[in-house]
Amino acid sequence: METSLIEKLDKSRYDFMKWCTIGWTIWFGTYILTDFIHYPEVPGFITWIRLIGWFILIVSTIRFLKLKRELNWDNKMKEALDDELHLHNRIKSFQIGYFVVIGLTLIFFVLALYTAIPALMITKLTLYFGVLAVLISKLIFNRA
Amino acid sequence: METAEFTNQIKVQRAMKNITQEELAAKIGVTRKTINTIETGKFVPSTILAIRMARFFEIRVEELFILTEK
Repeated sequence: METSLIEKLDKSRYDFMKWCTIGWTIWFGTYILTDFIHYPEVPGFITWIRLIGWFILIVSTIRFLKLKRELNWDNKMKEALDDELHLHNRIKSFQIGYFVVIGLTLIFFVLALYTAIPALMITKLTLYFGVLAVLISKLIFNRA
Repeated sequence: METAEFTNQIKVQRAMKNITQEELAAKIGVTRKTINTIETGKFVPSTILAIRMARFFEIRVEELFILTEK
């Protein structure tokens, strides 16, 4: 098996995760931010930042898919990339995401006993931080 | 309570065969990161991977991975 090819794909996957995290943080972050702004219209600069987030997400996905096609994608290579460390890290990341979601749900549950919180906002915040926890922890685990 | 120390001889064996982590990873069919984390003791490999590595170095698994009970 060609060594540089595996490392290239591994680095490409790491870069994809990195840009995906940045894109998600910006895009969904600004989406939530607009809920806290009580202007009649969403300020123009926030819309632009949101578009940048979208752009980063799309470009990183296209680049990753292109590289995957360019390099000879075979089963051996796939097995090497999705090796046991990768699967172990993925499980750990999803566990962290799970605990973040449970933790946020508990926090919102307690808060809801004292004040009214819109259900949509709770859903958005839980989804945002849950996904972000998975992405960031996966990036940290994959840094070795 | 009994504790156990898990160490390995991967670095030594690699030096004897004069191969890099990247080369070993390609031979075993994993990424360099996996070899690195096993070598530094951050990650404990599965039995299958341990056997593959031992076979590559042509030694027994117990010689490559050492479990010391304290």
